[in-house]
Amino acid sequence: MRACNRNSVLYSALARGLALLLSTASAQAGSTPITHGTLELVAENQWIAPGQKFDLGLHFQLEKGWHIYWINPGDSGEPPRVEWQLPQGVTAGVIEWPTPHRLESPTIMDFGYENAVTLIVPMQPDASLAAQHSVQFGASVKLLVCSHEMCIPGKAQLSLALPIKSQPPPSDPRTADLFAGARKSLPLPMPGNWKIKVADRKDSFVLTANIGHQTTQAVFFPLVESQIENTAPQKLVSLASGFQLTLRKSDQLLKPIQRLKGVLTLSTDRAYLIDVPLRKARSSSGTE
Amino acid sequence: MKRSTLNVMLVALLLCMASLTSAAKVGEAAPDFTATASNGKAVHLADYRGKYVVLEWHNNGCPYVGKHYKSGNMQRLQKQWTSQGVIWFTILSSAPGNQGYVTASEENDYLAKMQAAPTAALLDPSGQIGHLYDAKTSPQMIVINPQGVVIYSGAIDDKPTTDLDGVPGATNYVNRALEQAMAGKPVETPATRPYGCSVKYGD
Repeated sequence: MRACNRNSVLYSALARGLALLLSTASAQAGSTPITHGTLELVAENQWIAPGQKFDLGLHFQLEKGWHIYWINPGDSGEPPRVEWQLPQGVTAGVIEWPTPHRLESPTIMDFGYENAVTLIVPMQPDASLAAQHSVQFGASVKLLVCSHEMCIPGKAQLSLALPIKSQPPPSDPRTADLFAGARKSLPLPMPGNWKIKVADRKDSFVLTANIGHQTTQAVFFPLVESQIENTAPQKLVSLASGFQLTLRKSDQLLKPIQRLKGVLTLSTDRAYLIDVPLRKARSSSGTE
Repeated sequence: MKRSTLNVMLVALLLCMASLTSAAKVGEAAPDFTATASNGKAVHLADYRGKYVVLEWHNNGCPYVGKHYKSGNMQRLQKQWTSQGVIWFTILSSAPGNQGYVTASEENDYLAKMQAAPTAALLDPSGQIGHLYDAKTSPQMIVINPQGVVIYSGAIDDKPTTDLDGVPGATNYVNRALEQAMAGKPVETPATRPYGCSVKYGD
């Protein structure tokens, strides 16, 4: 499954390289060096149309052996943080985090991204925006870049200029592959026919998923820190129409939780966002 | 005869298994260790039974550790608590070649330059102590009570960033644990996620 992942990353890196080669005169600002890599602010469309939501992307290209972190970084690290400087009348949404990878060593399990990753951030322009030749987008990014041997803090100030026009904006061919790749790596909403239950046991959460077919492979990435023991093996029992996954509770989990939220990957190219209320064991009810 | 031999073997096996699998957990006995300090002295944890002991995982290149040393916060804590009889061990579990690995004399220079004041800095390049306590990050902090029981394990405070301005106004979990335990109260927050850089073990 790893090899498959690497191929898709390689593919997007190649596509990106090709796009860079093909682009000459560029409205995109180009990539900014960061610690052990580069970072670039990219736009999916060639211009902004008033009132029409559009996507920007933070594209990270990392040297081999270095990684950045998911929104829940796992046992160590910290996700990138961005502060926007936006044109008047534009508001930023939250980062859409692609499905992370496990970054593991025998004692530490982190969640993040190696090689290349694009974090999509949706933007909403006001309907009242007037056409302009060019408006500036700025992003101050703070991040932690780590290898197995060391961690280094990074900072970057990114900028991008885009015109505002009243016509519907065409997508930018130079970034089309990048955004398509980034969307493919986002976890999907949970399918409506799935039934997931999570039992709250003394030392573990037991997730039982009925997804309509037998499943032999599943990995859960918790969206919230300190709920499950990241390094503990996730014991999977294959069921006729799904699977059961036992997740050991974290030693840092001091209060009962109400819901289990996270990303469930069933194979390298399929990941789903789940958010399931917990079913308390009957015997332990009454204590809150 | 045979049976007693078997019992001895069983006990030995169980002890062996315990020492292999027991990472320090809050509420459980702090695993004992012997280490060499940067000042050349041997340190045996069990010798400090009867005192509170703080373990601080250190990596001088880690930006989260840097935050607490550049701001003077760690040195302040070390002075504040050692002056009240608390034993404070800074532990260096980075493997040779990895960030944070230093020789004894380099560590002594660092301690002098930073005006750090732990009871001792313990050199753990094999990661033995780190693994014994399942230390995941620098700066992970562990507090052991006079009975030798782990009463806190986790982050130094509630601001998991590398920004220096995150130090003032942070809730310091080590202070809380020591203050509450010394007042005879249970530690309100005995375990947190120990933020920081992963400990740079050499696997």
